[in-house]
Amino acid sequence: MKIILPFQPILTVTVAPYAHCGRTINGYIRETIIAMLPAAIMAMVGFGVGAMRVMALSCAVAVLCEALSNKFTKTEQSIDNLSAVHTGLLFAFLLPASAPWWLVTLGSASSIILGKMIFGGLGANPLCAPLVGWATCRISWGSFMDTNATMLMSNLPAPLQDLKYFGLESIQSIDYMAMLSGKQLGGLGEVQLAALLLGAVFLLVRRHVGWEIPLAFLGGVTLTAWIFQMIDPMTYASPLFHLMTGGTLFGAFFLITEPASSPTGRIPSLIYGLMGGAMVIIIRVYGIYPDGVPFAILFANLFTPLLDRIRPKPFGGPYQLTQEPEDDEICEKC
Amino acid sequence: MTTFSFSLLTGETGPLVTVNTPDTFSIPTPTHKSIVSEGDEVLADEKLAEATRPGIGDVHSPTAGVIEDITVDAIVVRRSGTGQNAPDASPPGGGKALREWLRGLGINTHQLVRASQLIINAVPPEPGISIYEPLIQDYRHIVELGLDAVQRIVNASKLHLVVAKGNRTNAFPNCSILQVPPVYPNGIDQLVIKATTGEETLLGTRPKDATILSVRDLYYIGKVMETKRPLTETIMTIGKDNHLIKVGTQIRHLAKEAGATIQPGDRVIFGGMMRGVAALNIDQGVDKYTTGMVILRHDEGLSPTDNFCLGCGECERHCPSRIMPGLISRCAEFKHFERAEDYHIHSCIECGICGYWCKAQRPLLQYIKLAKYEIALLRTASSTLEGEGQ
Repeated sequence: MKIILPFQPILTVTVAPYAHCGRTINGYIRETIIAMLPAAIMAMVGFGVGAMRVMALSCAVAVLCEALSNKFTKTEQSIDNLSAVHTGLLFAFLLPASAPWWLVTLGSASSIILGKMIFGGLGANPLCAPLVGWATCRISWGSFMDTNATMLMSNLPAPLQDLKYFGLESIQSIDYMAMLSGKQLGGLGEVQLAALLLGAVFLLVRRHVGWEIPLAFLGGVTLTAWIFQMIDPMTYASPLFHLMTGGTLFGAFFLITEPASSPTGRIPSLIYGLMGGAMVIIIRVYGIYPDGVPFAILFANLFTPLLDRIRPKPFGGPYQLTQEPEDDEICEKC
Repeated sequence: MTTFSFSLLTGETGPLVTVNTPDTFSIPTPTHKSIVSEGDEVLADEKLAEATRPGIGDVHSPTAGVIEDITVDAIVVRRSGTGQNAPDASPPGGGKALREWLRGLGINTHQLVRASQLIINAVPPEPGISIYEPLIQDYRHIVELGLDAVQRIVNASKLHLVVAKGNRTNAFPNCSILQVPPVYPNGIDQLVIKATTGEETLLGTRPKDATILSVRDLYYIGKVMETKRPLTETIMTIGKDNHLIKVGTQIRHLAKEAGATIQPGDRVIFGGMMRGVAALNIDQGVDKYTTGMVILRHDEGLSPTDNFCLGCGECERHCPSRIMPGLISRCAEFKHFERAEDYHIHSCIECGICGYWCKAQRPLLQYIKLAKYEIALLRTASSTLEGEGQ
């Protein structure tokens, strides 16, 4: 028997393609976090140390929970892909600056564990992970999550609550320009509209977010609000009001676009966005919650597997799978 | 970020460069059965191995020499002497006989069937591969000779020459020119057929009443017709130049000729950056249908990972086959191969664009190829079982 020595130099062998666009998961999540930084800074300016406390705690708990989940399930440690920080920050953006420490901890932990890790980690989550944490807290400890009730000391306007409980007259004197710079009560990051728009432009330019879903979502909000306003302009607020209040903008660019829980095709994406947008207004008008954005997005998430079935005809399809014709059969034609 | 471009514009390419003849050849015989044995002395152009599958050309020795080794997929010949086989008898007039004659002289004859439309693919197969340019410019008479021979088999009433818009071209007689955008993957046969006849054919099947040949196929056939000698050369793009290289020339020799060194951990790719095949070792020889050679340093290019799929849909958005490579890769990852069929895995034309865009750097094309292979195995297993039952 011949002894075969390994060939020198030993080559690396992989399958095509060998070229790559250069994008990585890390880079993607890092840039998404960068897009959120302006809003985070504005939140600290607007709400002070309280905002910083909530964001830092939420991120820390998220990272810790992901590390523990990995350890517990004996999987490769995944915290260095930054997705835990990303989820923690997203969750913090939805909380009032006054949120107590245990609420932040429980919410952030359930975002990571219930929202993501239980399904197998990043990419496997069927719902937008931070919203799972948010919904857990909103349903379990509603009064602590209520921005209006917990921020009584603040003299910022709470337009959605005003509209819900005091009717359309109460929001007539609303100052939209002030709201752009975060002058409304709500989640500490979700109300920093100007800063969020800046981040959104960055995400769109870097193509981390497609235009379809945000556009359809905002379009859905506008269209539905406009229909309600047409029905009765004395009861229902204008589309602009709905776009500027609560988490609409934040949801449109940062939550509903989350890759794993959103459909991928163009038409499914448009339907998905429209559906989410319409639900925002329906919940705001008929629901018991002043802001419908998180629930509307969770609702739209549930339709993702269905929407993903809307597919263009595959190349060469539709086709019957038959045995490949043998060469000799075709030879008959020669 | 990367500087890789999908552009298929070739610009000016110089004439074909010939490479010094190496001392050792390692002639690939992937689907062939050797008809020589170790220690035999062979003449140049002597038949070494016969194809075991229909439509595949036989393999001939590019040099006079001694058979040094016969491995599973290659025959190693050491050069010695200058003896050469006499040219073959004159080719038969046409049809099946001519087809078989060409196959015996090393031409792959899958596409040589009777059809009413003949498509000549002159679109570069991949970015950075410009092998068709010098052939269509400088070796026109051989290409036309090849076209003439092909027409004696195909008998097409309509001729189409498909070129990338912006590349230089000259039409053949009675031939309509179709320009396609000079962007990868437009040079892949399936997409060229679609651009010409509108028909979408699956990889591995033929269009209904058309057949497609590349300019290089015509050149090969023309060359065989002219010399009546077997095909023992290939045209490859290495760097910017196109080279005429003897089949079986080893990477070792090509790298030395080009002045390149190969370090451990590098990848040597036969073909282009999107669809090429990585060589196993530097003693591997080039094949008749190799289109190029690229050396990738260990830190260059895509190094695939077993990262999870993010579900971002980039692969799907760029897929020319309109399928979901990400989802299919997940099926393959978890061995649900039959489920991959529900996601139309057979539509894949294996262009590799999904893997180029994947943020998670998943080896998407590898997953697809694996699933296709496993599905084929399942098929064969079930059909043999049925056969035994009867």
